[in-house]
Amino acid sequence: MLQPALVEKILNAALESGGDFAEIFVEDRTDRDLGMLGGVVERALSGRDYGIGIRILQGVFSVYAYTSDLREEYLIETARKAARALKGSSGDLVLNFNQIQFEDRHPILQRPSAAQNSRKIELMRQAHEALKTSHPLIEQTSVGILNWEQKVLIANSDGLWAEDTRTYTRMRMSAIAVDGTQRQSGFRGPGAYAGLELLEQMDIAAEAREAGRIAGTMVKAGYAPSGQFPVVIENGFGGVLFHEACGHGLESTAVGIGASVFAGKLGQQIASPLVTAIDDGTIPNAWGSLNIDDEGMPTQRNVLIENGILKGYLIDKVGSRRMNMPPTGSGRRQSYKFAPASRMNNTFIAEGSSTREEMIANTEYGIYAKSMGGGSVNTATSDFNFAINEAYMIRNGQIAEPVKGATLIGKGLEALQHIDMVGNNLDHGQGMCGSISGSLPVNCGQPTLRVSKMTIGGRKGE
Amino acid sequence: MNITDFQEMLFRQGEQYGYTDMEIYYSGSRAISVVVRQSEVDTYRITETNGLSFRGVIGGKMGYAFTEKIAEDSMMFLLEEAEGNAAVLEMEDDDELFAGSEQYPQLNTYSALLMQTDPDILIQAAQKVERAVLASDERISMVRQSAASVREHELLIANTRGLHCHQQDSVGSVSVYLLAGEGQDTVTGGWFEYSLTDFSEIQLEQIAARAVEETVSKLGAASVPSDNYPVILREDAASSLLQTHASIFSAENVEKGFSSLVGKLGQRIAGSNITLIDDPLMPGVPGASIFDAEGVAARRNELIQEGTLMTFLHNRKTAAKAGAETTGNASKGGYKGKIGVSYHNLYLQPGTRSLDELIASTERGILITELQGLHAGTNPTSGNFSLACLGYLIENGKISRPVNQITVSGNFYDLLGEVEELGNDLRFTGSCTSPSLKIASLSISGS
Repeated sequence: MLQPALVEKILNAALESGGDFAEIFVEDRTDRDLGMLGGVVERALSGRDYGIGIRILQGVFSVYAYTSDLREEYLIETARKAARALKGSSGDLVLNFNQIQFEDRHPILQRPSAAQNSRKIELMRQAHEALKTSHPLIEQTSVGILNWEQKVLIANSDGLWAEDTRTYTRMRMSAIAVDGTQRQSGFRGPGAYAGLELLEQMDIAAEAREAGRIAGTMVKAGYAPSGQFPVVIENGFGGVLFHEACGHGLESTAVGIGASVFAGKLGQQIASPLVTAIDDGTIPNAWGSLNIDDEGMPTQRNVLIENGILKGYLIDKVGSRRMNMPPTGSGRRQSYKFAPASRMNNTFIAEGSSTREEMIANTEYGIYAKSMGGGSVNTATSDFNFAINEAYMIRNGQIAEPVKGATLIGKGLEALQHIDMVGNNLDHGQGMCGSISGSLPVNCGQPTLRVSKMTIGGRKGE
Repeated sequence: MNITDFQEMLFRQGEQYGYTDMEIYYSGSRAISVVVRQSEVDTYRITETNGLSFRGVIGGKMGYAFTEKIAEDSMMFLLEEAEGNAAVLEMEDDDELFAGSEQYPQLNTYSALLMQTDPDILIQAAQKVERAVLASDERISMVRQSAASVREHELLIANTRGLHCHQQDSVGSVSVYLLAGEGQDTVTGGWFEYSLTDFSEIQLEQIAARAVEETVSKLGAASVPSDNYPVILREDAASSLLQTHASIFSAENVEKGFSSLVGKLGQRIAGSNITLIDDPLMPGVPGASIFDAEGVAARRNELIQEGTLMTFLHNRKTAAKAGAETTGNASKGGYKGKIGVSYHNLYLQPGTRSLDELIASTERGILITELQGLHAGTNPTSGNFSLACLGYLIENGKISRPVNQITVSGNFYDLLGEVEELGNDLRFTGSCTSPSLKIASLSISGS
């Protein structure tokens, strides 16, 4: 993407006024986005992102500059401009770049390209047909296939030279059910670090019927009650509870400056002994996986909590300098327009021994959260919230009527303590995680689990 | 390669390729921003980004593609990708390019003075705010970040039908975000102000004072019992709720069945105290603009007039479908987007009494100052929302204590008919704004 001689010139320019580390991140990304509404192809977009981010560090002070103008003189001038934010001087840097070697753990079978448009449209049509017939109340369907391929070059003044290509595919399917004046949508969005083979191997109709079933069920649902209840959270994307309640608070971006409730708690019991939590960027072809992170370090499997005891954090390069701990392969950014920050990859809670049936049967009165929406957290206080897309009441140890409009809130530290049953059925779901370094694909996973007490924001008296 | 040269060469190549009509939508922005922590500069960002989307008619169909690489070797990519995309589109509607409006309004949205602000001034401003925050109250445990920035943005739309629209805007801002603690209790808060004309106009002491007040007043918060309460949504919370639901006024969403306002045109959908206006021509606000993403001259539109739904927001395509006239609300989510529909500067017409007066007229209720998880806890299609929030308990017409660990639930469509009173405190911080709203009753879930 850029020649080593030019990269060396840029890094030298970046370090000419006292920086102790400089890095470039070059990106060439192609996006393809097809969309169908009500069975008609109405969206076909493609394009190319292209640019460079230049980062200079002096201790934990960082300068970041980016540009999409890749002319040689301009790049050197941009690096020089960024360097002027530092006061100091530096000698010449002679770099001997070492191409880092890593195993490609994520084989791509069918690379996305425009030539496959007709095949993608066939697959979208399958989804549309299944959505439309999934429930008698479905009135509208929307289907899309998003592919992108991101080529990156990461090089730095330590001599690191790393190049990789990341390929992603995601299908989104949504159905809208209408019942009188009520409208409700149901959604499924499977995705992977993979090519079109993801969709060829998937039971598209089954996924689509699931979206339709959610819309059709929830449009007839009454409102969830308000107050504090035990909550059984279904496996898969239910792991967004841990992602919000705890995962963000373990990122060095917050921990490194002491702005997290988890700062200074290594080795302490912070969760129920039933909880073991892991962030793993190496799972083959998983939506949140990477060969190397966006600072060029191979990803790894990081145990965050083991049997309730805090074992580790997610650490990027600046966090590593702040915390005096090694980085964990967790430096990520959406694009060259963002400086890297410590972020999650595939975060999940490890399996326990209970069955879903036991958890429901052991709950006298509570909420069964079958499918989750997204949420957010304040890492300094661990106050979190997230939405339930599909929920049911549990009465006398049995799943009863569906309820809608339920948001779960709580404090991460308390929620972790209140997990009192963990299932034996780990699964993962896909989401986009938005934070300081942009919007990134992440997996959230867990087995079915029960939290003994959470606040549900429904509506009283309805 | 400069954008005008690029455009001319692209259109020449496109014509040879077989395109009969072509358009570019170019957007470029430049910014300098600094973040200060513990009186040192923590991060310093210099950013510059350009991108363009191309659309063109080939074989009688419109195709789209975009690139951030404004260089000769991108031209064939754009022409080929757009052709491939045009080939698969199945809409039958005509997507003809626009030759331009007869007249465009005049509006000054760019300040060269603002963009000349020395980076050292930005650093000093952020340092000054941080110092002022730390000096003001011993319960402040940390300034997480104090930031200052200036940014400018440029937009150019040009096509082979003769359209040539150009606009530049700029903004400078200062923000601070902090932590305060007392015993085991930790709270966070912040504030920001901006200027569209002159960085030195930004009142740094006021930002610091307001950020501190916003934060320490949350200390000692507790939940309230679950019940229905009268609720006042403070202007910032009300603005974010309106913004999350504003897509229901887009004719595109109405047509696609994503809005429950289908078939409601000309009907009463809100209380008679509700007037909702999109006014891109209002000077001195962030959402001001003189043309939309199709190059149609922007204009003021009243969407709701005293409770009655007067119009949806239209672009040329949705207007043609509905047999209406475009309202000048074509939008594009940057150069990567496709033409859609959105507001420019949407606001609810304010009432006459201040927030303090609204509080004083509330016997017992909740003042909500912040709504969280809006991306997940709202459903614009159904209008239902259930959101974590923060605020204060009002007792005997006064704020009695801070409240946390509660949610507020309701339905946005119903809420439009249930606003008892609107405050006079409209503050334009973005392109969608509401004054404080007092609602007779909303469901609060707590302890």
